[in-house]
Amino acid sequence: MIGRSHIWVGVAALFFIFLLLPLLLVVLFAFTNRALTNFPIDELSLRWWRAMLEHPQFAPSLRRSLTIGGGVALVSAVVGTAAAAGLARLPRRTATSLLAVLSLPMMLPPLVLAVSLATFYVSLGMQLNLFTVTASHILLTQPFVILVVYAQLRDFDIRILESARDLGASPLKAFATVTLPIIAPTVLGAALLAVAISFDDFVITFFTIGSGNTLPTLIWGMMRSSVTPMVNAIGTLILAVTIISTLLGLSLTRYRG
Amino acid sequence: MSTAYRSALLVAPSLLIFSGLFIAPTLYFLLVSFWRFESYELIREFNLGNYGEVARDYVALGIYTLFIATIVSLSAVTLGFIYAYIARFKAGRFGSIMLFVALISLFGGYLMKVYAWRTILGTEGIINNALLGLGIVSEPVTWLLYNPPSVVLTLTNFLFPFAMLPIAASMRGIHDSELESARDLGAPFTAILFDHVIPRCKTGITTGFALCFLIACGDWVTPVLVGGRMTMLGNLIAAQFGEFLNWPLGAAMSFSLLATAFLVVLTFSQVMRVFDWR
Repeated sequence: MIGRSHIWVGVAALFFIFLLLPLLLVVLFAFTNRALTNFPIDELSLRWWRAMLEHPQFAPSLRRSLTIGGGVALVSAVVGTAAAAGLARLPRRTATSLLAVLSLPMMLPPLVLAVSLATFYVSLGMQLNLFTVTASHILLTQPFVILVVYAQLRDFDIRILESARDLGASPLKAFATVTLPIIAPTVLGAALLAVAISFDDFVITFFTIGSGNTLPTLIWGMMRSSVTPMVNAIGTLILAVTIISTLLGLSLTRYRG
Repeated sequence: MSTAYRSALLVAPSLLIFSGLFIAPTLYFLLVSFWRFESYELIREFNLGNYGEVARDYVALGIYTLFIATIVSLSAVTLGFIYAYIARFKAGRFGSIMLFVALISLFGGYLMKVYAWRTILGTEGIINNALLGLGIVSEPVTWLLYNPPSVVLTLTNFLFPFAMLPIAASMRGIHDSELESARDLGAPFTAILFDHVIPRCKTGITTGFALCFLIACGDWVTPVLVGGRMTMLGNLIAAQFGEFLNWPLGAAMSFSLLATAFLVVLTFSQVMRVFDWR
């Protein structure tokens, strides 16, 4: 039996290597002092992080990524929480099917979604800019927010709310003083998951931004021309932001799939 | 205010975003696929020319794309099943950590994961580093990267959590006692696997396959970064909105791809029904 269980440990270890090695290498080579992303690394240095900070495109790209991420988080949190509150009042089956419908954009190849959105915006005479990117991201992030917040509201003890109403609170006041404080961590966590999705997105952004770069489109350009470990530095930054906001988001929402 | 009315009001903004940014653009895109582009102008006349062009020039590429996407999705589902199985039945408390790691990797690092494989497989990459260092080869091995297998490997790596998480979710419903009693009654491992575990995970397996397939068949980043001269249909779709600037053809390619992709997913879910009677 001991031999058996060792096999499972071995297989699990191989999976961890397969899953994590690529990302670990990206991070490791961000700290090389050489110009190539391979071994040996003579010594760890911040050379490529300095190069990143000095790159003229870096600050504006970071600013755009943060602007989009912030807008996405705010709007999808508000809209998504409202929708989740609406769904929580419906019979469970109706709510589940509505949720499935709202998740449909995730079932489309991102490329197809991106080019159809871009075609739509341009045909409406809209300028492609940060607004069009933000709107497109919200379409993708709102199902996550609704799903996570709905999961909590569904198990919410409605009697607390009813007693607030019995004591004379208006629906809005009852929501603000009873429901919101209870679900606030979940909403914040869901918003952080939305940030992670938005900050990492390349395909939708690439087609709907018009001009200017976000961090992912910036490194896309770099990967296709001269590759230096600066790509790793920016990539590590993107990874750090998405992983930290995912971790915070998952722990705040206590959502486990 | 009635409950139904209030619910509708609360869900309305979400539905508005959904219809305005998903239904409307998709329907419009479908219309565009029947129009044509002439000297940078969209001619709004119904014609089937774009689909004719797809049928004439791009069938082989389309089949190739679906073929690659099928291999990728089957690999991701198989690996995902094994991983989910270990996490659920073999890893004990460590299982939830295994799932958590995969869940985190779902939300980030798309470009970086693809790019990392260049670092691993390239002529200057770490595999060649190791092979040269150990004296196994004297020249860097060039066939590791910039070919279809490296695209399959990279996409499988990226799509793994999309396949694994739905399967893990459906495994949560299986109780240890069910498998234990089967084992006590003398059922061999394969019988438990095929008669019990897989049929119970059918929904998860099908969902995982569908997610992987729909993302893989439309991918164009991976072939560009690690595929060398390899082209998938996604590369040509992307090009219709860039250098070639032919939206109607791009739209027709997109809908042809979608239609055939849904057929493949449907076929897969039908094939999974062989586990029904057990």
